[in-house]
Amino acid sequence: MSASKTAKSTLRFSGGVFTLSILHLTVATADSLQRELAAQGSALQLLQGAAVVLDLAELDPARPLPFSDWLRILRDNGCFPIGVRNASPTQAADAAANALPHLRGNEAKAASPALSTQSAASSISLATVLTHPLRSGQRQYGRGGDLVCLAAVNAGAEVLADGHVHVYGPLRGRALAGVQGEEGARIFCQRLEAELVAIAGVYMTLDAEHPLWGKAAQVFLDGEHLHIIALDK
Amino acid sequence: MAQTVVVTSGKGGVGKTTTSAAFASGLAQRGHRTVVIDFDVGLRNLDLVMGCERRVVYDFINVIHGEARLQQALIRDKMLENLYILPTSQTRDKDALTTEGVARVMEELQSQFDYIICDSPAGIESGALRALYHADAAIVVTNPEVSSVRDSDRILGILAARSKRAEEGEEPIREHLLLTRYAPKRVQGGEMLSLDDVQELLRIPLLGVIPESEVILQASNQGIPAIHMQGSDVSLAYEDVVARFLGEERPLRFVQPEKSGFFKRLFGG
Repeated sequence: MSASKTAKSTLRFSGGVFTLSILHLTVATADSLQRELAAQGSALQLLQGAAVVLDLAELDPARPLPFSDWLRILRDNGCFPIGVRNASPTQAADAAANALPHLRGNEAKAASPALSTQSAASSISLATVLTHPLRSGQRQYGRGGDLVCLAAVNAGAEVLADGHVHVYGPLRGRALAGVQGEEGARIFCQRLEAELVAIAGVYMTLDAEHPLWGKAAQVFLDGEHLHIIALDK
Repeated sequence: MAQTVVVTSGKGGVGKTTTSAAFASGLAQRGHRTVVIDFDVGLRNLDLVMGCERRVVYDFINVIHGEARLQQALIRDKMLENLYILPTSQTRDKDALTTEGVARVMEELQSQFDYIICDSPAGIESGALRALYHADAAIVVTNPEVSSVRDSDRILGILAARSKRAEEGEEPIREHLLLTRYAPKRVQGGEMLSLDDVQELLRIPLLGVIPESEVILQASNQGIPAIHMQGSDVSLAYEDVVARFLGEERPLRFVQPEKSGFFKRLFGG
Protein backbone atom coordinates (compact mmCIF):
# COMPACT_ATOMS: atom_id res chain seq x y z
CA MET A 1 0.00 0.00 0.00
CA SER A 2 2.98 2.28 0.36
CA ALA A 3 3.01 2.83 -3.39
CA SER A 4 -0.45 4.40 -3.26
CA LYS A 5 0.88 7.18 -1.08
CA THR A 6 3.53 8.27 -3.48
CA ALA A 7 1.69 7.91 -6.79
CA LYS A 8 -1.85 9.12 -7.18
CA SER A 9 -4.01 6.44 -8.82
CA THR A 10 -5.69 7.28 -12.08
CA LEU A 11 -8.31 4.58 -11.54
CA ARG A 12 -11.69 5.39 -10.16
CA PHE A 13 -14.28 2.79 -9.20
CA SER A 14 -17.93 3.53 -8.76
CA GLY A 15 -21.18 1.57 -8.74
CA GLY A 16 -23.95 1.56 -11.30
CA VAL A 17 -27.24 -0.16 -11.98
CA PHE A 18 -27.99 -1.37 -15.47
CA THR A 19 -30.94 -2.95 -17.16
CA LEU A 20 -29.80 -6.02 -19.10
CA SER A 21 -31.50 -8.50 -21.38
CA ILE A 22 -31.74 -12.03 -20.04
CA LEU A 23 -31.66 -15.03 -22.31
CA HIS A 24 -33.42 -18.02 -20.75
CA LEU A 25 -31.78 -21.16 -22.08
CA THR A 26 -33.87 -24.32 -22.09
CA VAL A 27 -31.80 -26.75 -24.16
CA ALA A 28 -28.17 -27.38 -23.35
CA THR A 29 -26.75 -27.84 -26.84
CA ALA A 30 -25.05 -25.40 -29.15
CA ASP A 31 -27.02 -26.53 -32.24
CA SER A 32 -30.35 -25.81 -30.61
CA LEU A 33 -29.30 -22.26 -29.73
CA GLN A 34 -28.23 -21.66 -33.31
CA ARG A 35 -31.56 -23.02 -34.60
CA GLU A 36 -33.66 -21.07 -32.12
CA LEU A 37 -31.88 -17.81 -32.90
CA ALA A 38 -32.35 -18.33 -36.61
CA ALA A 39 -36.06 -18.95 -35.99
CA GLN A 40 -36.40 -15.57 -34.27
CA GLY A 41 -36.02 -13.87 -37.65
CA SER A 42 -36.28 -10.10 -37.53
CA ALA A 43 -36.96 -10.12 -33.77
CA LEU A 44 -33.25 -10.77 -33.42
CA GLN A 45 -32.65 -7.21 -34.60
CA LEU A 46 -33.73 -6.04 -31.15
CA LEU A 47 -30.79 -7.82 -29.59
CA GLN A 48 -28.19 -6.27 -31.89
CA GLY A 49 -25.40 -4.87 -29.75
CA ALA A 50 -27.18 -5.82 -26.52
CA ALA A 51 -25.42 -7.14 -23.43
CA VAL A 52 -27.17 -10.33 -22.33
CA VAL A 53 -27.12 -12.50 -19.25
CA LEU A 54 -27.59 -16.24 -19.75
CA ASP A 55 -30.14 -17.70 -17.36
CA LEU A 56 -29.42 -21.38 -16.64
CA ALA A 57 -32.35 -22.00 -14.26
CA GLU A 58 -34.12 -24.40 -16.59
CA LEU A 59 -31.09 -26.53 -17.35
CA ASP A 60 -29.89 -29.66 -15.56
CA PRO A 61 -27.42 -28.32 -12.95
CA ALA A 62 -25.17 -31.39 -13.28
CA ARG A 63 -24.74 -31.15 -17.02
CA PRO A 64 -21.65 -29.52 -18.53
CA LEU A 65 -22.59 -26.67 -20.85
CA PRO A 66 -21.06 -25.59 -24.18
CA PHE A 67 -20.16 -22.04 -23.07
CA SER A 68 -17.53 -21.41 -25.74
CA ASP A 69 -19.94 -22.45 -28.54
CA TRP A 70 -22.71 -20.31 -27.08
CA LEU A 71 -20.40 -17.32 -26.87
CA ARG A 72 -19.39 -17.71 -30.49
CA ILE A 73 -22.98 -18.13 -31.72
CA LEU A 74 -24.26 -15.15 -29.74
CA ARG A 75 -21.42 -12.91 -30.84
CA ASP A 76 -21.98 -13.94 -34.45
CA ASN A 77 -25.57 -12.77 -33.97
CA GLY A 78 -24.47 -9.40 -32.60
CA CYS A 79 -25.06 -10.02 -28.87
CA PHE A 80 -22.54 -9.66 -26.07
CA PRO A 81 -22.96 -12.27 -23.32
CA ILE A 82 -21.62 -10.75 -20.11
CA GLY A 83 -22.46 -13.31 -17.44
CA VAL A 84 -24.64 -16.16 -16.25
CA ARG A 85 -27.15 -16.54 -13.50
CA ASN A 86 -28.80 -19.41 -11.67
CA ALA A 87 -25.72 -21.53 -12.34
CA SER A 88 -24.70 -24.56 -10.28
CA PRO A 89 -21.18 -24.38 -8.77
CA THR A 90 -19.66 -26.47 -11.60
CA GLN A 91 -21.48 -24.49 -14.26
CA ALA A 92 -20.36 -21.26 -12.62
CA ALA A 93 -16.75 -22.46 -12.69
CA ASP A 94 -17.04 -23.42 -16.37
CA ALA A 95 -18.62 -20.05 -17.13
CA ALA A 96 -15.84 -18.24 -15.28
CA ALA A 97 -13.27 -20.12 -17.38
CA ASN A 98 -15.03 -18.54 -20.40
CA ALA A 99 -14.88 -15.07 -18.81
CA LEU A 100 -18.55 -15.12 -17.83
CA PRO A 101 -19.08 -14.12 -14.19
CA HIS A 102 -21.86 -15.64 -12.12
CA LEU A 103 -24.28 -12.77 -11.43
CA ARG A 104 -26.24 -13.02 -8.22
CA GLY A 105 -28.95 -10.90 -6.67
CA ASN A 106 -32.38 -11.72 -7.98
CA GLU A 107 -32.34 -15.46 -8.55
CA ALA A 108 -35.58 -16.05 -6.66
CA LYS A 109 -37.42 -13.76 -8.99
CA ALA A 110 -35.90 -15.47 -11.98
CA ALA A 111 -36.98 -18.91 -10.81
CA SER A 112 -40.65 -17.98 -10.77
CA PRO A 113 -41.18 -14.77 -12.68
CA ALA A 114 -44.95 -15.21 -12.73
CA LEU A 115 -45.11 -15.27 -8.96
CA SER A 116 -42.72 -12.40 -8.23
CA THR A 117 -45.28 -9.89 -7.01
CA GLN A 118 -46.98 -12.32 -4.68
CA SER A 119 -43.74 -13.49 -3.18
CA ALA A 120 -42.63 -9.91 -2.58
CA ALA A 121 -45.89 -9.16 -0.83
CA SER A 122 -45.77 -12.19 1.42
CA SER A 123 -42.15 -11.85 2.56
CA ILE A 124 -41.96 -9.96 5.84
CA SER A 125 -39.17 -7.52 6.34
CA LEU A 126 -38.74 -4.77 8.88
CA ALA A 127 -38.96 -1.21 7.58
CA THR A 128 -35.86 0.94 7.20
CA VAL A 129 -36.17 3.89 9.60
CA LEU A 130 -34.40 7.15 8.89
CA THR A 131 -34.25 9.62 11.79
CA HIS A 132 -32.24 12.47 10.27
CA PRO A 133 -33.37 14.77 7.46
CA LEU A 134 -32.55 13.69 3.93
CA ARG A 135 -30.97 16.59 2.10
CA SER A 136 -30.52 17.61 -1.51
CA GLY A 137 -28.45 15.04 -3.40
CA GLN A 138 -28.96 12.27 -0.83
CA ARG A 139 -30.83 9.08 -1.48
CA GLN A 140 -32.27 6.41 0.79
CA TYR A 141 -33.58 3.03 -0.26
CA GLY A 142 -35.79 0.80 1.86
CA ARG A 143 -34.66 -2.53 0.43
CA GLY A 144 -37.10 -5.39 0.69
CA GLY A 145 -39.70 -3.43 2.66
CA ASP A 146 -40.95 -0.04 3.78
CA LEU A 147 -39.03 3.15 4.33
CA VAL A 148 -39.97 5.41 7.23
CA CYS A 149 -38.54 8.93 7.28
CA LEU A 150 -39.06 10.75 10.56
CA ALA A 151 -37.60 14.08 9.41
CA ALA A 152 -37.82 16.11 6.22
CA VAL A 153 -37.06 14.83 2.75
CA ASN A 154 -35.79 18.02 1.12
CA ALA A 155 -35.94 19.11 -2.48
CA GLY A 156 -33.38 17.27 -4.57
CA ALA A 157 -33.38 14.24 -2.23
CA GLU A 158 -34.84 10.88 -3.21
CA VAL A 159 -36.54 8.20 -1.12
CA LEU A 160 -37.24 4.76 -2.58
CA ALA A 161 -38.66 1.56 -1.16
CA ASP A 162 -39.71 -1.86 -2.33
CA GLY A 163 -42.72 -1.39 -0.07
CA HIS A 164 -44.45 1.75 1.22
CA VAL A 165 -42.79 5.12 1.84
CA HIS A 166 -43.80 7.06 4.96
CA VAL A 167 -42.57 10.61 5.52
CA TYR A 168 -43.39 12.35 8.79
CA GLY A 169 -41.59 15.60 7.94
CA PRO A 170 -42.31 17.61 4.80
CA LEU A 171 -41.86 15.60 1.59
CA ARG A 172 -40.20 17.98 -0.85
CA GLY A 173 -38.03 15.66 -2.89
CA ARG A 174 -38.87 12.58 -4.91
CA ALA A 175 -40.62 9.56 -3.42
CA LEU A 176 -40.83 6.21 -5.19
CA ALA A 177 -42.68 3.29 -3.63
CA GLY A 178 -42.85 -0.27 -4.92
CA VAL A 179 -39.75 0.18 -7.02
CA GLN A 180 -39.50 -3.57 -7.70
CA GLY A 181 -42.99 -3.53 -9.17
CA GLU A 182 -45.20 -3.91 -6.10
CA GLU A 183 -48.38 -2.15 -7.22
CA GLY A 184 -49.96 -2.20 -3.75
CA ALA A 185 -47.24 0.06 -2.35
CA ARG A 186 -48.27 3.53 -1.21
CA ILE A 187 -46.71 6.81 -0.20
CA PHE A 188 -47.86 8.48 3.01
CA CYS A 189 -46.70 11.93 3.99
CA GLN A 190 -47.45 14.66 6.50
CA ARG A 191 -46.87 17.47 4.04
CA LEU A 192 -47.05 16.82 0.36
CA GLU A 193 -44.65 19.16 -1.45
CA ALA A 194 -42.97 16.50 -3.55
CA GLU A 195 -41.23 17.09 -6.85
CA LEU A 196 -42.28 13.66 -8.03
CA VAL A 197 -44.16 10.64 -6.69
CA ALA A 198 -44.09 7.18 -8.23
CA ILE A 199 -45.53 3.77 -7.49
CA ALA A 200 -44.37 0.66 -9.33
CA GLY A 201 -42.92 2.84 -12.08
CA VAL A 202 -46.03 4.98 -12.62
CA TYR A 203 -44.98 8.51 -11.83
CA MET A 204 -46.36 12.00 -11.58
CA THR A 205 -44.74 15.37 -11.06
CA LEU A 206 -46.35 17.87 -8.72
CA ASP A 207 -46.39 21.59 -8.13
CA ALA A 208 -47.91 24.09 -5.74
CA GLU A 209 -51.13 24.14 -7.77
CA HIS A 210 -52.09 20.72 -6.49
CA PRO A 211 -55.14 20.90 -4.18
CA LEU A 212 -53.41 18.83 -1.49
CA TRP A 213 -50.11 20.73 -1.65
CA GLY A 214 -48.70 21.16 1.84
CA LYS A 215 -51.29 18.78 3.31
CA ALA A 216 -51.16 15.29 4.75
CA ALA A 217 -51.79 12.93 1.87
CA GLN A 218 -51.36 9.45 0.52
CA VAL A 219 -50.57 8.28 -2.97
CA PHE A 220 -51.70 4.95 -4.35
CA LEU A 221 -51.95 3.19 -7.68
CA ASP A 222 -55.27 2.12 -9.13
CA GLY A 223 -54.81 0.35 -12.43
CA GLU A 224 -52.60 2.66 -14.41
CA HIS A 225 -53.43 5.84 -12.53
CA LEU A 226 -51.93 7.41 -9.47
CA HIS A 227 -54.39 8.79 -6.97
CA ILE A 228 -53.57 11.35 -4.33
CA ILE A 229 -56.06 11.74 -1.49
CA ALA A 230 -56.02 13.47 1.87
CA LEU A 231 -54.83 11.31 4.74
CA ASP A 232 -57.61 12.23 7.14
CA LYS A 233 -60.42 11.15 4.83
CA MET B 1 -7.43 21.42 22.03
CA ALA B 2 -8.54 23.76 19.28
CA GLN B 3 -12.02 23.86 17.82
CA THR B 4 -12.17 23.64 14.04
CA VAL B 5 -14.91 25.61 12.32
CA VAL B 6 -15.59 25.39 8.60
CA VAL B 7 -17.27 28.28 6.81
CA THR B 8 -19.02 26.72 3.84
CA SER B 9 -22.01 27.14 1.52
CA GLY B 10 -21.90 25.08 -1.66
CA LYS B 11 -22.71 28.15 -3.70
CA GLY B 12 -20.14 30.78 -4.59
CA GLY B 13 -20.33 34.50 -3.89
CA VAL B 14 -22.57 34.23 -0.83
CA GLY B 15 -20.03 35.66 1.63
CA LYS B 16 -17.88 32.79 2.90
CA THR B 17 -14.58 34.68 2.82
CA THR B 18 -16.12 37.87 4.22
CA THR B 19 -17.61 35.79 7.02
CA SER B 20 -14.41 33.85 7.66
CA ALA B 21 -12.43 37.08 8.00
CA ALA B 22 -15.01 38.81 10.20
CA PHE B 23 -15.70 35.78 12.36
CA ALA B 24 -12.02 34.97 12.93
CA SER B 25 -11.35 38.64 13.78
CA GLY B 26 -14.28 38.64 16.21
CA LEU B 27 -12.97 35.59 18.03
CA ALA B 28 -9.48 37.10 18.22
CA GLN B 29 -10.90 40.42 19.51
CA ARG B 30 -12.31 38.46 22.41
CA GLY B 31 -8.88 37.12 23.23
CA HIS B 32 -9.02 33.70 21.56
CA ARG B 33 -5.94 32.56 19.68
CA THR B 34 -7.35 32.12 16.19
CA VAL B 35 -6.06 31.07 12.80
CA VAL B 36 -7.99 31.39 9.56
CA ILE B 37 -7.04 29.14 6.63
CA ASP B 38 -7.81 29.74 2.97
CA PHE B 39 -8.81 26.44 1.34
CA ASP B 40 -9.70 28.05 -1.98
CA VAL B 41 -6.52 27.04 -3.78
CA GLY B 42 -5.91 28.94 -7.00
CA LEU B 43 -8.35 31.74 -6.12
CA ARG B 44 -6.52 33.38 -3.22
CA ASN B 45 -9.02 35.80 -1.71
CA LEU B 46 -8.75 35.62 2.05
CA ASP B 47 -5.43 37.48 2.24
CA LEU B 48 -6.96 40.29 0.13
CA VAL B 49 -9.97 40.59 2.40
CA MET B 50 -7.65 40.52 5.43
CA GLY B 51 -5.35 43.09 3.81
CA CYS B 52 -2.18 41.03 4.01
CA GLU B 53 -1.64 40.02 0.38
CA ARG B 54 1.71 41.78 0.20
CA ARG B 55 3.05 39.83 3.14
CA VAL B 56 2.48 36.37 1.65
CA VAL B 57 5.80 34.62 1.11
CA TYR B 58 5.05 30.99 1.87
CA ASP B 59 1.57 29.48 1.84
CA PHE B 60 -0.54 26.52 2.97
CA ILE B 61 0.46 24.47 -0.07
CA ASN B 62 4.18 25.05 0.59
CA VAL B 63 3.66 23.75 4.12
CA ILE B 64 1.72 20.71 2.88
CA HIS B 65 4.51 19.86 0.46
CA GLY B 66 7.20 20.37 3.08
CA GLU B 67 8.70 23.38 1.26
CA ALA B 68 8.22 25.64 4.26
CA ARG B 69 7.60 25.34 7.97
CA LEU B 70 4.19 26.25 9.32
CA GLN B 71 5.62 29.20 11.29
CA GLN B 72 7.04 30.66 8.08
CA ALA B 73 3.67 30.59 6.34
CA LEU B 74 1.51 31.94 9.18
CA ILE B 75 0.94 35.69 8.85
CA ARG B 76 0.09 37.72 11.91
CA ASP B 77 -2.93 40.00 11.43
CA LYS B 78 -2.14 43.70 11.21
CA MET B 79 -4.81 44.64 13.76
CA LEU B 80 -5.09 41.74 16.17
CA GLU B 81 -2.14 40.01 17.73
CA ASN B 82 -4.14 36.83 18.48
CA LEU B 83 -5.05 36.32 14.85
CA TYR B 84 -3.05 34.52 12.18
CA ILE B 85 -3.76 33.92 8.52
CA LEU B 86 -2.66 30.86 6.58
CA PRO B 87 -2.97 31.98 2.95
CA THR B 88 -3.26 29.65 0.02
CA SER B 89 -1.45 29.44 -3.27
CA GLN B 90 -2.55 31.34 -6.33
CA THR B 91 -0.64 29.16 -8.77
CA ARG B 92 -1.57 25.63 -7.76
CA ASP B 93 -4.88 23.84 -8.06
CA LYS B 94 -7.07 21.95 -5.64
CA ASP B 95 -5.24 18.65 -6.12
CA ALA B 96 -2.34 20.19 -4.21
CA LEU B 97 -4.39 19.73 -1.03
CA THR B 98 -3.57 16.14 -0.10
CA THR B 99 -5.55 14.41 2.62
CA GLU B 100 -2.45 13.52 4.64
CA GLY B 101 -0.90 16.96 4.17
CA VAL B 102 -4.01 18.79 5.41
CA ALA B 103 -4.30 16.40 8.36
CA ARG B 104 -0.68 17.05 9.35
CA VAL B 105 -1.09 20.84 9.24
CA MET B 106 -4.36 20.70 11.19
CA GLU B 107 -2.68 18.53 13.80
CA GLU B 108 0.14 21.03 14.17
CA LEU B 109 -2.28 23.98 14.49
CA GLN B 110 -4.28 22.19 17.19
CA SER B 111 -1.69 22.81 19.88
CA GLN B 112 -1.12 26.47 19.03
CA PHE B 113 -4.64 27.84 18.68
CA ASP B 114 -8.08 27.92 20.31
CA TYR B 115 -9.98 28.22 17.03
CA ILE B 116 -9.12 27.10 13.51
CA ILE B 117 -11.40 28.71 10.92
CA CYS B 118 -11.44 27.01 7.50
CA ASP B 119 -12.61 29.19 4.63
CA SER B 120 -14.03 26.68 2.16
CA PRO B 121 -14.12 27.09 -1.62
CA ALA B 122 -17.50 26.96 -3.36
CA GLY B 123 -18.72 23.71 -4.84
CA ILE B 124 -18.68 20.18 -3.50
CA GLU B 125 -15.36 19.08 -5.01
CA SER B 126 -12.19 18.00 -3.28
CA GLY B 127 -11.27 21.48 -2.00
CA ALA B 128 -14.58 21.87 -0.19
CA LEU B 129 -14.40 18.30 1.13
CA ARG B 130 -10.90 18.85 2.55
CA ALA B 131 -12.04 22.10 4.19
CA LEU B 132 -14.94 20.46 6.02
CA TYR B 133 -13.28 17.13 6.81
CA HIS B 134 -11.74 18.12 10.15
CA ALA B 135 -14.57 20.39 11.33
CA ASP B 136 -16.15 20.29 14.78
CA ALA B 137 -18.63 23.00 13.82
CA ALA B 138 -19.86 24.43 10.54
CA ILE B 139 -21.16 27.86 9.62
CA VAL B 140 -23.35 27.40 6.56
CA VAL B 141 -23.50 30.75 4.78
CA THR B 142 -26.73 31.16 2.84
CA ASN B 143 -28.30 33.97 0.82
CA PRO B 144 -32.06 34.36 0.88
CA GLU B 145 -32.64 32.86 -2.55
CA VAL B 146 -33.69 29.38 -3.64
CA SER B 147 -30.52 28.21 -5.36
CA SER B 148 -28.34 29.21 -2.41
CA VAL B 149 -30.68 27.41 0.00
CA ARG B 150 -30.62 24.31 -2.17
CA ASP B 151 -26.81 24.30 -2.28
CA SER B 152 -26.65 24.79 1.48
CA ASP B 153 -28.94 21.82 1.89
CA ARG B 154 -26.60 19.79 -0.28
CA ILE B 155 -23.55 20.79 1.74
CA LEU B 156 -25.37 19.96 4.99
CA GLY B 157 -25.90 16.45 3.66
CA ILE B 158 -22.20 16.22 2.85
CA LEU B 159 -21.26 17.53 6.31
CA ALA B 160 -23.36 14.75 7.81
CA ALA B 161 -21.81 12.05 5.64
CA ARG B 162 -18.26 12.89 4.57
CA SER B 163 -16.58 14.55 7.55
CA LYS B 164 -14.05 12.91 9.83
CA ARG B 165 -16.60 12.92 12.62
CA ALA B 166 -19.10 11.12 10.40
CA GLU B 167 -16.55 8.60 9.19
CA GLU B 168 -15.38 7.80 12.70
CA GLY B 169 -18.92 7.65 14.09
CA GLU B 170 -18.37 10.49 16.53
CA GLU B 171 -20.90 13.13 17.50
CA PRO B 172 -21.95 15.00 14.34
CA ILE B 173 -20.65 18.43 13.35
CA ARG B 174 -22.54 21.31 15.02
CA GLU B 175 -24.40 23.08 12.23
CA HIS B 176 -25.07 26.83 12.25
CA LEU B 177 -27.03 28.82 9.71
CA LEU B 178 -25.78 32.27 8.80
CA LEU B 179 -28.06 34.22 6.52
CA THR B 180 -26.14 36.91 4.63
CA ARG B 181 -27.04 39.73 2.21
CA TYR B 182 -30.44 39.94 3.88
CA ALA B 183 -32.58 42.87 2.74
CA PRO B 184 -35.76 43.04 4.86
CA LYS B 185 -37.37 45.49 2.46
CA ARG B 186 -36.97 43.13 -0.47
CA VAL B 187 -38.26 40.28 1.66
CA GLN B 188 -41.34 42.35 2.35
CA GLY B 189 -41.73 42.96 -1.36
CA GLY B 190 -41.57 39.24 -1.99
CA GLU B 191 -38.32 39.40 -3.96
CA MET B 192 -36.32 37.46 -1.40
CA LEU B 193 -36.98 34.44 0.76
CA SER B 194 -37.70 35.39 4.34
CA LEU B 195 -35.72 34.26 7.34
CA ASP B 196 -38.62 31.97 8.26
CA ASP B 197 -38.68 30.44 4.77
CA VAL B 198 -34.98 29.63 4.90
CA GLN B 199 -35.18 28.19 8.40
CA GLU B 200 -38.18 26.10 7.45
CA LEU B 201 -36.27 24.66 4.51
CA LEU B 202 -32.93 24.00 6.19
CA ARG B 203 -34.01 23.36 9.79
CA ILE B 204 -30.73 24.05 11.54
CA PRO B 205 -30.09 26.54 14.37
CA LEU B 206 -29.69 30.17 13.29
CA LEU B 207 -26.40 31.83 14.18
CA GLY B 208 -27.25 35.23 12.76
CA VAL B 209 -28.43 37.45 9.96
CA ILE B 210 -26.04 39.82 8.17
CA PRO B 211 -27.85 42.64 6.39
CA GLU B 212 -27.11 43.50 2.76
CA SER B 213 -24.82 46.50 2.92
CA GLU B 214 -22.37 48.47 0.80
CA VAL B 215 -20.07 48.54 3.82
CA ILE B 216 -19.06 44.96 2.94
CA LEU B 217 -17.77 46.08 -0.43
CA GLN B 218 -15.86 49.01 1.07
CA ALA B 219 -14.38 46.77 3.74
CA SER B 220 -13.13 44.09 1.38
CA ASN B 221 -11.73 46.63 -1.07
CA GLN B 222 -9.76 48.21 1.76
CA GLY B 223 -8.64 44.83 3.09
CA ILE B 224 -10.36 45.31 6.43
CA PRO B 225 -12.54 42.54 7.89
CA ALA B 226 -16.12 43.87 8.02
CA ILE B 227 -16.36 43.47 11.78
CA HIS B 228 -13.91 46.40 12.12
CA MET B 229 -16.21 48.82 10.28
CA GLN B 230 -17.12 50.69 13.46
CA GLY B 231 -20.77 51.45 14.03
CA SER B 232 -22.03 49.79 10.85
CA ASP B 233 -24.93 47.33 10.84
CA VAL B 234 -22.65 44.68 9.41
CA SER B 235 -20.07 45.07 12.14
CA LEU B 236 -22.73 44.85 14.87
CA ALA B 237 -24.32 41.83 13.19
CA TYR B 238 -20.99 39.98 13.03
CA GLU B 239 -20.30 40.81 16.68
CA ASP B 240 -23.65 39.22 17.53
CA VAL B 241 -22.69 36.17 15.49
CA VAL B 242 -19.45 35.70 17.42
CA ALA B 243 -21.24 36.19 20.75
CA ARG B 244 -23.91 33.62 19.87
CA PHE B 245 -21.30 31.17 18.68
CA LEU B 246 -19.64 31.46 22.08
CA GLY B 247 -22.95 30.71 23.80
CA GLU B 248 -24.30 34.20 24.59
CA GLU B 249 -27.93 35.11 23.99
CA ARG B 250 -28.40 38.03 21.62
CA PRO B 251 -31.69 39.26 20.15
CA LEU B 252 -31.90 39.25 16.34
CA ARG B 253 -31.29 42.62 14.70
CA PHE B 254 -31.60 43.96 11.17
CA VAL B 255 -34.41 41.61 10.18
CA GLN B 256 -37.14 44.26 10.02
CA PRO B 257 -37.30 46.91 7.29
CA GLU B 258 -36.12 50.36 8.39
CA LYS B 259 -38.89 52.80 9.09
CA SER B 260 -38.58 55.50 6.49
CA GLY B 261 -39.18 59.07 7.63
CA PHE B 262 -42.28 61.08 6.90
CA PHE B 263 -40.73 63.19 4.14
CA LYS B 264 -39.08 60.24 2.54
CA ARG B 265 -42.42 58.47 2.42
CA LEU B 266 -44.08 61.59 1.06
CA PHE B 267 -41.58 62.21 -1.72
CA GLY B 268 -40.60 58.61 -2.35
CA GLY B 269 -37.27 57.17 -1.29
